[in-house]
Amino acid sequence: MDTMDTTTVTPDAKPGHENTNALHTVEAPPARWHWLSGPFERPGVRRATIVLLAVFALAFPFITGDQANIDAAGNATAYACLALGLNIVVGFCGLLDLGYAAFFAIGAYSFGILTSWQITPEWSGFWSPFAALGLVQKVVQNGHALVHFTVSFWIMLPLSGVIAAFFGVLFGAPTLRLRGDYLAIVTLGFGEIVPIVARNWSSLTNGAAGLNGIASPTIFSYRFGINATPYYYVGIGLVAFLIFASTRLRDSRIGRAWMAIRDDEIAASAMGINLTRFKLLAFGIGAGFAGMSGTFYVAKLQTATPDMFGFPVSVMILVMVVLGGLGSVWGVVLGAVLLQLLQSWFLGDLTQWVNAFGTLIHSGYLSSIDLTQASELLFGIILVIMMLYRREGLIPANRRQRALSFEQQHATVQMQKRASDITLSQIGGEGYRHEPGAVPMLEINDVTVRFGGLVALNKVNITVPAGGVVAVIGPNGSGKSTLFNTITGLTRAAEGSILFNGQEIIGLPPHEILRLGIARTFQNIRLFGTLTVAANIMVGQHARLKAGPISAILRSPKNLPEEKAARAWIVEIAQIFGNRLAPRLTQTVVGLSYANRRRVEISRALASKPRLLLLDEPTAGMNTSESLELAEQIKGLHALGLTILIIEHKLDVVTRIADKVIVLDHGDKLTEGLPDEVRRNEAVLEAYLGRGAAAHA
Amino acid sequence: MSPFDLLLQQIINGLSLGSMYALLALGFTIVYGIMELINFSHFNVFMIGSFVAMGVLSLFGLQGQSILMHGAPLVVALIVALVVTMVACGLLGVLIERVALRPLRGVQGPMAMITTIGVSYVLSNATMLALGANTKNFPNPIPPMTFHIGTAQITAFQIVIWVLSALLMGGLYMFVQRSKLGKAMRATAQDPDAALMMGVEVNRVIMTAFFLGSALAGAAGFIFGLYYNFTNFGIGFTAGLRAFTAAVLGGIGNIPGAMLGGILIGLIEAMAGQYVGAKWADVIIFSLLVLVLIARPAGLLGRLAPTKS
Amino acid sequence: MITRRSAATLLAGTALGAAFGLPGIAEAADKEIIIGINLPITGADAAGAKRMMNGALLGIQQANDANEIPGYKLKGLVLNDATATAGQYDPAQAATNARKFVSNPKVLAAIGPEMSGAAKAMAPILSEGDLTIITPSATNPDLTNPQFAAQYMPGGKPVFFRTVTTDAFQGPNMANFYAETLGVKDVYILDDSGAYGVGLADSFEAQCKAKGVKVLGRDRLDPTASDYTAVMTKIKSLSASSLYYGGVAGAGVKVVKESYAVVPNIKKGAGDGMYSPDVTTGAGFPAAEGWYVTNASPHMTEDPKVAAWISAYQSAFNQSPDDYAITSYDGVLVILAALKKVIAEGKAPTRDNVRAAVASSTVDTLQGTVSFDANGDIKQRVVSVFQIVHNPAYPLDDTIHQFKYIGVAPQS
Repeated sequence: MDTMDTTTVTPDAKPGHENTNALHTVEAPPARWHWLSGPFERPGVRRATIVLLAVFALAFPFITGDQANIDAAGNATAYACLALGLNIVVGFCGLLDLGYAAFFAIGAYSFGILTSWQITPEWSGFWSPFAALGLVQKVVQNGHALVHFTVSFWIMLPLSGVIAAFFGVLFGAPTLRLRGDYLAIVTLGFGEIVPIVARNWSSLTNGAAGLNGIASPTIFSYRFGINATPYYYVGIGLVAFLIFASTRLRDSRIGRAWMAIRDDEIAASAMGINLTRFKLLAFGIGAGFAGMSGTFYVAKLQTATPDMFGFPVSVMILVMVVLGGLGSVWGVVLGAVLLQLLQSWFLGDLTQWVNAFGTLIHSGYLSSIDLTQASELLFGIILVIMMLYRREGLIPANRRQRALSFEQQHATVQMQKRASDITLSQIGGEGYRHEPGAVPMLEINDVTVRFGGLVALNKVNITVPAGGVVAVIGPNGSGKSTLFNTITGLTRAAEGSILFNGQEIIGLPPHEILRLGIARTFQNIRLFGTLTVAANIMVGQHARLKAGPISAILRSPKNLPEEKAARAWIVEIAQIFGNRLAPRLTQTVVGLSYANRRRVEISRALASKPRLLLLDEPTAGMNTSESLELAEQIKGLHALGLTILIIEHKLDVVTRIADKVIVLDHGDKLTEGLPDEVRRNEAVLEAYLGRGAAAHA
Repeated sequence: MSPFDLLLQQIINGLSLGSMYALLALGFTIVYGIMELINFSHFNVFMIGSFVAMGVLSLFGLQGQSILMHGAPLVVALIVALVVTMVACGLLGVLIERVALRPLRGVQGPMAMITTIGVSYVLSNATMLALGANTKNFPNPIPPMTFHIGTAQITAFQIVIWVLSALLMGGLYMFVQRSKLGKAMRATAQDPDAALMMGVEVNRVIMTAFFLGSALAGAAGFIFGLYYNFTNFGIGFTAGLRAFTAAVLGGIGNIPGAMLGGILIGLIEAMAGQYVGAKWADVIIFSLLVLVLIARPAGLLGRLAPTKS
Repeated sequence: MITRRSAATLLAGTALGAAFGLPGIAEAADKEIIIGINLPITGADAAGAKRMMNGALLGIQQANDANEIPGYKLKGLVLNDATATAGQYDPAQAATNARKFVSNPKVLAAIGPEMSGAAKAMAPILSEGDLTIITPSATNPDLTNPQFAAQYMPGGKPVFFRTVTTDAFQGPNMANFYAETLGVKDVYILDDSGAYGVGLADSFEAQCKAKGVKVLGRDRLDPTASDYTAVMTKIKSLSASSLYYGGVAGAGVKVVKESYAVVPNIKKGAGDGMYSPDVTTGAGFPAAEGWYVTNASPHMTEDPKVAAWISAYQSAFNQSPDDYAITSYDGVLVILAALKKVIAEGKAPTRDNVRAAVASSTVDTLQGTVSFDANGDIKQRVVSVFQIVHNPAYPLDDTIHQFKYIGVAPQS
């Protein structure tokens, strides 16, 4: 390991220290639950379960017939929407948000203010077109013509989503640079600020007294009024839509990008994911869900007070998400519904049940005990017990891995013996042609990198010709990984220039550099730990796919073939390594051997269709035959025209594949030349083995 | 009052409040530094500390507002109450760690944090059920004594708070810097794997952190009770939230940072009450926090540690 | 005989029955009338809510003991409208509870809620369900304002009654008392962020301005914070001669403590939220000494009936009542009187009959004669002023002896 890493901020810091944003547990549920979860892994059973659930949800008001139960279920749907929204932020993207209720409040007040008597400006001609659209009414009070806002619930439902999403992006923006727990406190701050503003800005919100006269929704002139049933159905519809949207997003380019950020920000950015954009997208979409939920909730309640949106609400939504299963769409819905019903039904009625039971069994103690005041205590106990015994959530996001069959595990390795076995289609189909005498692919001129007082790279000059394979060698701490980090934008050079096909790339963010065509692997392997092999490789294609959030949800005619082709292509990429990865595509990467993880990382880099591939010690941890196998595969990639810059310690590998070898030592370029020349260079021997050894050599 | 005296008076107010926040923030910071855990149960260990202190003082016959003791016996009673409170809260912290958090050790994600939220509900509601929901009058055995600087005044007890807080914080700092266990704590905070390999008993270190953090929360509860002369089952929440904010503002995991953050937030709260309006205090505190974190993403004294990049 | 298994089956059956409202299983044989009680008995406002709950339960128990409604057994059904989600009262839970009351045919009337925010969510549902509710403490004027009748009274007839006056009277009358009786020239006004406190302080402030009392400042305290010293220092720096606090005892105890430490010698006053033993026990003396506290009823506490009631309350619940325990108990008395009247007239005890009887009732209660105007507000609008004066002969939580009657606040 580079000694430098202990003193400097490098992305290749200590192995074993996971990305602190990784909020995700990678545990699969223990086997003792498999009898329960097992059947649901079959698509038919899953589909049947969903249909049954839907039928039950639709029939529920008729089954119970009790308005109080329907109302409680209606509140539960609102919290299910909130949990789905927070799941996008925390579960998918890994951003710990402790102030999520702020967006709930914003959605609630947006609707409340625009459909009540809270603000009534003077009437003027300006309002006439709005009146024609039915958004406002002219009312005359005490001889004054005033504007009464009457925006329809059905307009406000999506509109509040948009308004809340705007605030989501606004509040998210300052938090982008922050690590997990700092992010948590800043979001907590926003969560505190919003209700305070609602409380103190009483001309807009009626302050602590709460909004009056919020209009109830109507549909085809049927007024919902205080009947809980129509609200319940709107809530069910909203939950169904948000489940649908969450699932579609999760399984798309967007969802993969979020989960990649969650698992490893640095690798995600190096694989072409624009961290800023995708984090803000998660904040925005998550907030949008909350905004819609807030509108629904307030329409149902017909009042809103600042007390409804405090910190305990944010915490409770988070608890729902974690209890249900972080990142699991159905899990968080279940978590929200259970916790909400536990509070409003079970704990509320528990006293009555226990008393009735006590009367039945003639127990004076049980028939008079009052548990109502203990409801929050019981809630706390249930929460602790759930976390201790079912911490991966009620429905874990990662289903149990089906083990490889005996045959698959013990299959003879069919490696592709010859480099020429690798086909063009496996690296993107187009291939690369290089005109002799063209500009070099990569020109590094006088690049200096400093960490505090330490000079990690000192005026280094390297040229990588198009179509060439250049190897960088050097002892530990010589600046090799720093060189890669500088090229890929993870570390900023103090001086010098790096030209990629003649274009300056110093100062570009990592995802832009990948987009230009430079992909890399990491010395200490940075895969997305909770994702499958296939999903890891799919993330590599991120920059080459186009699906946005809306087309991902709609599966537009453009998006669907793109996604299908992408999925087909990763199977081809995996076959570069014969049958080593192919049977393991659906496994999460944590279960893979070290060598296979390296192969996944190379596949992931290849999936971005790079023109220049940077490999950081790709054979580390492999035995000799595996190393030579990989060398052969690299040669194959080179033969197809891919330009490669490789850091490698194993000199036999280097000699096999490199056109040119560059030697770094203590940040200085010691020498460069053909592999055999470098091997005999005295300065190199000295650097590697020390002065005395060189003298004896 | 002249504007200067007023400012001075508010600084005095802010320092007293800030000392309490700092003591509470220290507990967050030690536990966070070692386990990267936001411990929400800490809020209510503080609350329970105030009740324990009240109970111990009542054993000495100190109840209500009457001053029954003077001189040495009073000092002894106060010291005994402080020590008993700190030990009891420390043990409560260890118990929480042992029962609710150890089984979750090493589990990534917010599960442990959610558990502490559950514990927090249990502590506050159990207290409410056992002792009632109404506000209790905390004994006020310290004779009033005031010093004047211009028209600004300092009570003797405010000075006691500062000195006591400074002593406790200094003691903690020395412990962490000098003692063998303290060194083990720092090593574990920097790199738990390496510390484990170097023979550090991680369990012992974590239990020590919980003990110390919770004992300081207990001390803060004791001081809170004596300063404000009341307590109830709900005092933990807002004070805890401010202390948590203080820890982050100073750089979470950083002991001098927690002290600085606590004092700063106390001062901001006092200044907001005077010059802007108490109703905007939280808005000002959190806006400032956002601004500080934009400029220094790891807080005022925190450094983005290389291991956590 | 009840085996363990059959007991479990019964429990499950009861649970299902209660959950889905199946009739029959949980039903007892006697004729039972249920009075619903909806209060936030956990979370931030638990202390006050429990006193109100106890007041109502005491009323029900006394009626049963005296067999006041022959042939019927009264039962209080307590529902908690505080949730762990909100950490305090939760309007959504209040709405659910309102529906629970409405859908339970045995519930003929209800007591609650504590908070105006919860009342706003409950009122439309109860109105459509024609279920009378009497609040002991929700004082926001909007609820009975005819301007919002379509919202809070969709059923057309008032079902929402109060045994407490709205903010529209207590604040202004106290402002008159400040200006006329105390001769105060300037005042600093605080509230506790709650709907009650803000409304009270607002109406006090408006009347102060009308009376020419200079309002030096107005600030809002975070009821969950503990340190108000900075605000008190500001009041000191303005050389304010008086302080008015709109709010309940939760933050009020801290206001009393900390104002005594910083501005011990100015005049201080508050509304009925502070007519509570919490002030005299939680803040204690000498801090509480001298505070003026209003009570929205004629002076009754020296009436032997009231003294007897207070000792009954103390022996039943091992705590002293506050003003809202009395308004809550009075609410039960109003309901009982209505039930008696309905039955005496030979009518069926239905919700509609009970509502009509309540609306037209004139009931002798602990706080004097209670009757309601067309909107459901209490007609009686006398605001009494008390001053806290330590009486060492009696325990601290004895409100009768620690709160000294001063007189009636001037009407505006």
